[in-house]
Amino acid sequence: MKLNIEGLLVYFPYDYIYPEQYSYMLELKRTLDAKGHGVLEMPSGTGKTISLLSLIVAYQRAYPLEVTKLIYCSRTVPEIEKVVEELRKLMEYYSKEAGEKNNFLALALSSRKNLCVHPEVSSLRFGKEVDGKCHSLTASYIRAQRHSNPSLPSCRFYEEFDALGRQVPLPAGVYNLDDLKDFGRRKGWCPYYLARYSIVHANIIVYSYHYLLDPKIADLVSKELAKKSVVVFDEAHNIDNVCIDSMSVNITRRTLDRSQANVETLQSTILKIKETDAAKLKEEYRRLVEGLKEANVARETDIYMSNPVLPDEVLQEAVPGSIRTAEHFVGFMKRFLEYLKARLRIHHVVQESAPQFLKDISEKVCIDRKPLRFCAERLRSLLRTLEIADIADFSAITLISNFATLVSTYSKGFTIIIEPFEDRTPTIANPVLHFSCMDPSIAIKPVFERFQSVIITSGTLSPLDIYPRILDFHPVTTASFTMTLARTCLCPLVCNLRNPQHGAFWEGGEGPVIRNYGNLLLEMSAIVPDGIVAFFTSYIYMENIVASWYEQGILENVQRNKLIFIETPDAAETSMALEKYQEACENGRGAILLSVARGKVSEGIDFVHHFGRAVIMFGVPYVYTQSRILKARLEYLRDQFQIRENDFLTFDAMRHAAQCVGRAIRGKTDYGLMIFADKRYARADKRGKLPRWIQEHLTDGSLNLTIDETVQLSKHFLRQMAQPFKQEDQLGLSLLTLEQLQSEEMLQKIAQIAHQV
Amino acid sequence: MAALSEEVLLVVKRVRQRKQDGTLYLMAERIAWGPEGKDRFTVSHLYADIRQKISPDGKAKIQLQLVLHTGESTNFHFSNESTALRDRDAAKDLLQQLLPKFKKRANKELEEKNRMLQEDPVLFQLYKDLVVSQVISAEEFWANRLSLNNVDHSASNNKQEVGISAAFLADIRPQTDGCNGLRYNLTSDIIESIFRTYPAVKQKYAENVPHNLTEKEFWTRFFQSHYFHRDRISTGLQDIFSECAKQDEKGLRSMVVQGVKNPLVDLLSLEDKTLDEGYGSNSMAPSTSSANKTVKENSNSAIIKRFNHHSAMVLAAGAGKKADAPNDQASETSSTDGNSRDSDFFQPPVKKVKIQEAIEYEDLHMENGKKTVALNLKKSDRYSHGPVPLLPQQYTTSQDIINSVNCIQQEIANYKPCLTQVMSSSTASSAIAALSPGGLLMQAGSQQAINQMVPSDVQGELKHLYTAAGELLRHFWSCFPVNTPFLEEKLTGHLEDMFQMAYNKFHAWQTRQMLRKT
Repeated sequence: MKLNIEGLLVYFPYDYIYPEQYSYMLELKRTLDAKGHGVLEMPSGTGKTISLLSLIVAYQRAYPLEVTKLIYCSRTVPEIEKVVEELRKLMEYYSKEAGEKNNFLALALSSRKNLCVHPEVSSLRFGKEVDGKCHSLTASYIRAQRHSNPSLPSCRFYEEFDALGRQVPLPAGVYNLDDLKDFGRRKGWCPYYLARYSIVHANIIVYSYHYLLDPKIADLVSKELAKKSVVVFDEAHNIDNVCIDSMSVNITRRTLDRSQANVETLQSTILKIKETDAAKLKEEYRRLVEGLKEANVARETDIYMSNPVLPDEVLQEAVPGSIRTAEHFVGFMKRFLEYLKARLRIHHVVQESAPQFLKDISEKVCIDRKPLRFCAERLRSLLRTLEIADIADFSAITLISNFATLVSTYSKGFTIIIEPFEDRTPTIANPVLHFSCMDPSIAIKPVFERFQSVIITSGTLSPLDIYPRILDFHPVTTASFTMTLARTCLCPLVCNLRNPQHGAFWEGGEGPVIRNYGNLLLEMSAIVPDGIVAFFTSYIYMENIVASWYEQGILENVQRNKLIFIETPDAAETSMALEKYQEACENGRGAILLSVARGKVSEGIDFVHHFGRAVIMFGVPYVYTQSRILKARLEYLRDQFQIRENDFLTFDAMRHAAQCVGRAIRGKTDYGLMIFADKRYARADKRGKLPRWIQEHLTDGSLNLTIDETVQLSKHFLRQMAQPFKQEDQLGLSLLTLEQLQSEEMLQKIAQIAHQV
Repeated sequence: MAALSEEVLLVVKRVRQRKQDGTLYLMAERIAWGPEGKDRFTVSHLYADIRQKISPDGKAKIQLQLVLHTGESTNFHFSNESTALRDRDAAKDLLQQLLPKFKKRANKELEEKNRMLQEDPVLFQLYKDLVVSQVISAEEFWANRLSLNNVDHSASNNKQEVGISAAFLADIRPQTDGCNGLRYNLTSDIIESIFRTYPAVKQKYAENVPHNLTEKEFWTRFFQSHYFHRDRISTGLQDIFSECAKQDEKGLRSMVVQGVKNPLVDLLSLEDKTLDEGYGSNSMAPSTSSANKTVKENSNSAIIKRFNHHSAMVLAAGAGKKADAPNDQASETSSTDGNSRDSDFFQPPVKKVKIQEAIEYEDLHMENGKKTVALNLKKSDRYSHGPVPLLPQQYTTSQDIINSVNCIQQEIANYKPCLTQVMSSSTASSAIAALSPGGLLMQAGSQQAINQMVPSDVQGELKHLYTAAGELLRHFWSCFPVNTPFLEEKLTGHLEDMFQMAYNKFHAWQTRQMLRKT
């Protein structure tokens, strides 16, 4: 249908529309009009993606000079592919309705692992290996060497692309990862570099967060993206953690050992080169003296990872003299390594700030701040000069140099924690140096500054006001949308089970609680059809509960009703369990999946329809509060953003709980139980932090239930939901035709859907 | 000597049978014994006929006893003093290898026959009529039955397989027997479940029972094993099941390596760009190295692994053979291209379908006819009574109908009764009487059907006689064309007797009926 969103003609590729989609588009349009940022929470399964795409594409067509590009960031590869498929649907609708061929270019970008078509390279298992191998075939100096020695291996796809691929732009259309590969195979061009080259002039790019948030990659990939772009972060409820992860570094003794080996390799390589080709080193020295930026000479294939600090912090001056010659630099790194080794030889925990660390290093080994800041860049230059093919081998020393640059660049927002052992195993020495970013706003700041509109959206962003605070930006729109429902297809229930005392579990004093948990699961397994997903607060906790249940014979009884699958730390094993779980749901046997909040399953897997008729959340998924990194972060949040520790912890726990239970509802035709098996959920501070679309259905009658009551209510709900549900039942209420949408009355109703904060 | 063409596997000289010295031959399909100095066998048993062999140990005489299915038994006495024991053991071992093979075949045949009789009451009756009353021999009866049935038996055997309860192990409740022991009650269903779910155990069973262990010992060991109680920490004790655990582990690993077909649940390829080692804030999360894991944790993770494996195996066993075929194919394809991720060539269809499914909002679409066509019955009686044969109908168009109505109207308008040709009232009423039920022309209608007149038991007997005769006739006609002496003999010899016998039987029945009637 064709919609009129405040004067903008929007093509929407469906015959009907949900009221909240209309409302969402309204808010989105206002945000774009204001050229500001927005935070929008809309329930999962209400067609968020297609609303976003429809509106922004329409906006781009109407005002091609205002918005030149849409950068859509999602978290997982399947999510990225889904977005592109939805976009394809939209574009097909455009060409069908408008009759003309659209000249939009939309493409997905992913890592080499997902795009490589080189028969040998693509068969490697890990992304890192693929990257390394690709680099060893396509780096400019290797290709230069090949001129003199044609027998060296090459990647014909890259060669072809380099020769021809840049002359003609990628024809308009929608390119998913597989389409790019097909296209690449057909033309004989490297799809990865083709995609990277094409994002500059593409109208829509879909890729993962890291390409924009991780400075090491963003600088390489997303540097030339136009300012007049709209950036969308979908599934953004964890965006602060992504930001923090991209700036944090951990150094173990193993890292140091491997770096030591790296340094030795460097040294011997330098010696060798000195004998054969001293001019090369001299040339590098000259370049560094003149302060020529490597960007002038670097080719796209050479740089494996760019500077770890944000672009504004990168120093625009020549590399200091003390590390200019290759030997001096290697000596410098050796000294730095020795210092770090000494720091790891401790028996008690040390926590210090970056300035303290710098002071200490300058006192002890006379290393100044300035050369440290150039470490990352200097190492890259050296690696290129030495023509090291397999850069992946040098990941350890790269990590150390990145740490050096980061620690000397940022004096605020970071902390250094050195722990001599893991908390759980105090007898085993395993020293780790955590250089931890505590301020997510550091990494995302350039994004907010550079692009005119950044939209942060997800199904679970409550409480909405916390994101602008921790990410330090000022949105023009902050809205939460409810889900209009013709039938109440979600049923949140809070079971009044006592929470296990933290720590008491280890002493084995939590028998009754665990038994109650088990009884709840057992009862539910008897009444819920097909699939049940149960989430625990942590993996170790789940392991222990499963063992107790096994001893108590609870699991045996559960097995009479359903098969049991359990998430393990091994991703491959869990994938297998997941697939079998789905198979069991599919063939009618029914199954239970025991899983972990904050785990991969809770973040990336949807349990639509019969794959998840009930979700049980055992306990409140608080983060492990004993962690020193977390404590430091909480302190920082309190001091810098005036967010109380408890507020943040509860917020964090509730967003994960909401993520878990939200996995079961993926649309209005879907239905599912959401059972919060912990009485703490009934408290106002927890309840209030659930997304609005869940909170709405959490009435007083569904709080503080005994197991029996929970079972009764669930039975009732399931029986009701199992009745046929037809489109007519929804029409006019939660599903609108164009005419219905245009009625005055409906527009007023729609205005209430968006809840502005 | 018929044995010349057979493969002789073992020859043992100086074996006495019925106090007579002779030589024992073990051949590919039978065991035979011939007296000294003669070139024919006086004893010869097919392996398939042998039910069991007994080799009593404690006796002074070194003997081997064969018990046949028919109940007969034959004793062989190994009389060569120096090597008797060795000879006997050699023969015994060979028999041990050979018998199970034939046993299976024999049992299978018996089972098959049994099954056929049970499933087909008519056949069973026929069997009673012909074989039990010794009209024809059992072999003859089955001779052309089995081969006939082998063809369609695959179809009839395709009964739906029953899945396995996930909790079958829980159903084996140990009971204390009062003196520090546990009793497990095993039913054949449970054993079947265990075998289907854990093929490794089945293999162990086949290897060890009954040569090394009795069935009871086997299951006792099973329940004592670390394998069964997976949560107990391996004490390092080697039992026969420790291998099973390894095999399970291997099976699980191969399942994991095979990967998943649905890209949406593949956690490995979920992340696009993982942070490199060393970056990130919580990369130091639980170290999975087993070195610094406590014993308890190890046992916990073993339990979890076991549940996953158990569920997967139960699922696989339930899926049965039907699902196996495509699975095999899939695994073949994935194995041919090894671990290479060049599996793209066959991956996209699944992936595309799954992604399309995931982005589909069915309620946002205009309902298209295919999905929800309400069942609209024009003739509901036809729906509830099943289809009726379609009568040849002449369809008339509305124009035809209008025309004919016009015609009739005209006819009626022009109708003039022709009173001279009217029938007299008496003839008319007699005609009506004749056409009424019970009337002259309606005799057939009032007649009772024959099947209501004859009592059902008589009908049944007649039916049996009829089928028996039919079967005999089938045998008779199957002899033509007569191209082997065997057939000729069958035809001229006992078939005639059989017919005679059948006829006698029928005759006896007939007279019995006559007697009963009078």
